[in-house]
Amino acid sequence: MTSLAAHHPATVAELGQIVAAAYASARPLRIVGSGTWLDAGRAVPPAERLTVAALSGVVDYVPGDLTITVRAGTSLAHVADVVARERQLLRLDPYGSANGTVGATVATASCGPLAHARGTPRDIVLGLQAVTGTGETIRAGGRVVKNVAGFDLTRLFTGSWGTLGVIAELSLRLHAMPEVDATWALRVPTAPDALRDALRALRAAPLAALALELVNAPLAHRLGLEAHPCVLVRCAGNADAVRAQRRTLAHMGALVDAPASVWSALRGVEPTAAWVLRLSARPSELARIWDAAHRALPAAGTAWCHAGVDLGVVRAIVPHAEADAAAALAAARNDAARDDPDAAVTAMIDVARRERAACIGERLPRRCWEHLGGGAMSHPLGARVRAAFDPRGILNPGILGTVSHHTAAFAEQHVGSRAGTQGGGFAPAAAEPTG
Amino acid sequence: MFPAAAQPARASAGDATLSRELAGIVGPANVLSRSAELLAYSADGLPTYRMLPRLVVFPTSRDELVAVVRALARAGVPFVPRGAGTGLSGGALGDPDTVVVALNRLTRILTIDPENRLAVVQPGAVNVHLSRAAARHGLHYAPDPSSQTACTIGGNVAENSGGPHCLKYGVTLNHIVALTVVLPDGELVQLGSADGECDGYDLLGAFIGSEGCFGIAVEITVRLVPLPPAVRTLLADFTSITDGAHAVSAIIARGLLPAAMEMMDGPTVRAVEASVYAAGYPADAEAVLLIELDGLEDGMDADVRVVESLCRDAGARSVRVAREEAERARLWQGRKKAFGAMGRVAPDLMVQDAVIPRTRLPDVLATIAGIADRHGIQVCNVFHAGDGNLHPNIGFDGRDPAQRERVERAMTEIMRACLDAGGSVTGEHGIGLDKLRYMPLAFDAASLDAMCRLRAVFDPAQRANPAKVVPVHSCREWRMAPAARSRAAGDDGLSPLTAPTA
Repeated sequence: MTSLAAHHPATVAELGQIVAAAYASARPLRIVGSGTWLDAGRAVPPAERLTVAALSGVVDYVPGDLTITVRAGTSLAHVADVVARERQLLRLDPYGSANGTVGATVATASCGPLAHARGTPRDIVLGLQAVTGTGETIRAGGRVVKNVAGFDLTRLFTGSWGTLGVIAELSLRLHAMPEVDATWALRVPTAPDALRDALRALRAAPLAALALELVNAPLAHRLGLEAHPCVLVRCAGNADAVRAQRRTLAHMGALVDAPASVWSALRGVEPTAAWVLRLSARPSELARIWDAAHRALPAAGTAWCHAGVDLGVVRAIVPHAEADAAAALAAARNDAARDDPDAAVTAMIDVARRERAACIGERLPRRCWEHLGGGAMSHPLGARVRAAFDPRGILNPGILGTVSHHTAAFAEQHVGSRAGTQGGGFAPAAAEPTG
Repeated sequence: MFPAAAQPARASAGDATLSRELAGIVGPANVLSRSAELLAYSADGLPTYRMLPRLVVFPTSRDELVAVVRALARAGVPFVPRGAGTGLSGGALGDPDTVVVALNRLTRILTIDPENRLAVVQPGAVNVHLSRAAARHGLHYAPDPSSQTACTIGGNVAENSGGPHCLKYGVTLNHIVALTVVLPDGELVQLGSADGECDGYDLLGAFIGSEGCFGIAVEITVRLVPLPPAVRTLLADFTSITDGAHAVSAIIARGLLPAAMEMMDGPTVRAVEASVYAAGYPADAEAVLLIELDGLEDGMDADVRVVESLCRDAGARSVRVAREEAERARLWQGRKKAFGAMGRVAPDLMVQDAVIPRTRLPDVLATIAGIADRHGIQVCNVFHAGDGNLHPNIGFDGRDPAQRERVERAMTEIMRACLDAGGSVTGEHGIGLDKLRYMPLAFDAASLDAMCRLRAVFDPAQRANPAKVVPVHSCREWRMAPAARSRAAGDDGLSPLTAPTA
């Protein structure tokens, strides 16, 4: 097998030429930022590597506007450094290394505990420049914090995993650092009913929290806290407001101060060799989902879980090294799982189904992706969106699962006459219109 | 772009057939076809655009709405969804080929889930009614356009509406969790989810702000926000708008995030004070800044003191803190009714909308004043100062063609100035018809074409609110494939692209 070409564009113009050439000859490209999210464990076909790391640096930063424009290959850590000098912060704290790029964070719509305070790429990205699957450079949105000019391609490209275009530049909203930024750990009960009541009280409490993250005992221990479930609370405001919130929390349970560094420790806790998936439902269901997820996981001490209390999202981290133990445990409960080496993940997916929770994979064993199903292409409009911006399916093929070949085949037949079709029928995965 | 007058509706055999079919779905009383009846639907909140639609149909249930859209799809007839018609971009208008699907009978608040702070509403639910219904649970719906006593949640979704309190709480996009949408071809799809995370493309985000071009939201799940335990409203007055702008920057730089920061210039203040909405603003001020802080009771007074001193440092003559709810409401009324008050200044008012980076406020406002002087027109500025969202409003006499032309030229220059400063041609009113001509100034051909592609994902036949938002000529595919165009127009030979004579 001949080795595939690798591309390192240094300018947006070069990036455009590379994608245009790949489009012309239908050569697939794998988009790489710092290399954290290459395939998420999916069965992706071989492709030429397109590394955007050289497209980095700050393009424009006016602190008084609380906005910054950076090239996509800029690391989160670099942005944090630049804006910290002006006592500002970027409310994006996705899990993993801070050396990860802003482009990949937005492309994967990754977020962290600050999602509690609208710290998600969807909320933070103001505009972007991208090269679509035909090699055309487009701009969407802008640099101002409020903008409704035209259809919202910014939201569309955010979280599209590079399958609609290669993001080259991003404008982001910043926040001023609060006067006081405090973190505490609030001990919460283990029993599901008691936990449910505690979380309900916490959600209803008068807090101006930046983050409210529930962590399980093994994770708390790993973060240097007492080995007992707790909620990490991050509160901001002036001294009076923060003091009052501390009082409120102290009435709710055992409360200890936690160092601000606990947040970066949480972001960096997972080893590269770990499967990660998220279970979610309405926040009122969190204690139930949390409990069910733990029952599916291997014995206490081998898997870490944390959850956004107000978002209702449980994130489970299953290190690979524990995969054998996980399989043995699941097998003891379920004969069918005996031969499945990825039993813990499979069991979690099954739990999600049984508990009617949404289940999103971050990094899964290959066969678990199939077991999980769903994904972008299962939506009636998914394949149509893909075909509109990447008609030959050359961008990150396979990263969203299947049907890219259907999409490509459709595009070959229909590109240029899309407006003439009668609605559905774009790909086998797309539902026919019912009307 | 001042269309002369409403065109007469076309009465034809086709209309009668369509009218009968729609009446079969919603009942004859819920289909309007006579010119006199259609007249009420010939304009939105920007009355410089007028056109009579072909028909107006009022579905009274979700099933009727879906059936109406499917009937229109079968007949290949273009349609425009319409809420309260308070939009300010000429977006909710239909030409004589187009049926207006009026959502004013779908006003129900279906469920409120107080624990999860969610509500499910029909598209015609009125913004303020939702907040009132949520208030008994200690919650409210945060986006608060000035038209909130009339405008609908469906319309807010279509326009991605903002409002004064969006500075802290975010715009409509940040408050919509899920939508059930009937696509223009009649297919029902779910966008987003209220029951946990949603993977795949952010089609919910793409739909919000699509101005009725992507289909109709038949059910909307919104996020509600707790009513703040403490609220303080401050009014600072300045002898120059530049001083006011500096106060805004200083407050933001200090790390405070007020719920709202609204500025009104001297002409606006005087118009408000001379009207029935008089709010007690100092009439000789060149700028007043209305600041609202909300949050926990503890720490509130400390923040108020900081804001007060930052305003004084920036040159405020006086800073007043509203002591009671009645005074607070009065200060706000002056702001929310400012557009109405300007009606006293001139027979017609062009309410405009643009955004600039906050730090450019002083120089862009000076540029706007220069443009106004040069063209001999009066501009009143009311704006969301905290996020740089300007509303430069021009009073004029629409009966005078020379004045109309001057206003038109001045407005184009103002939009260019905002774009040159790194801004946008609209922050919350949308493109509609009024700002189509500015789109090529804001985006290059490839970017406009990409928007057309997104539209075609939702509406391949281009029947939903045709000819709005993106200029038709910028859609490459449409330029190149006339055959596709005529095929998409359907069997009756109607063109969905009939450009309004604007």
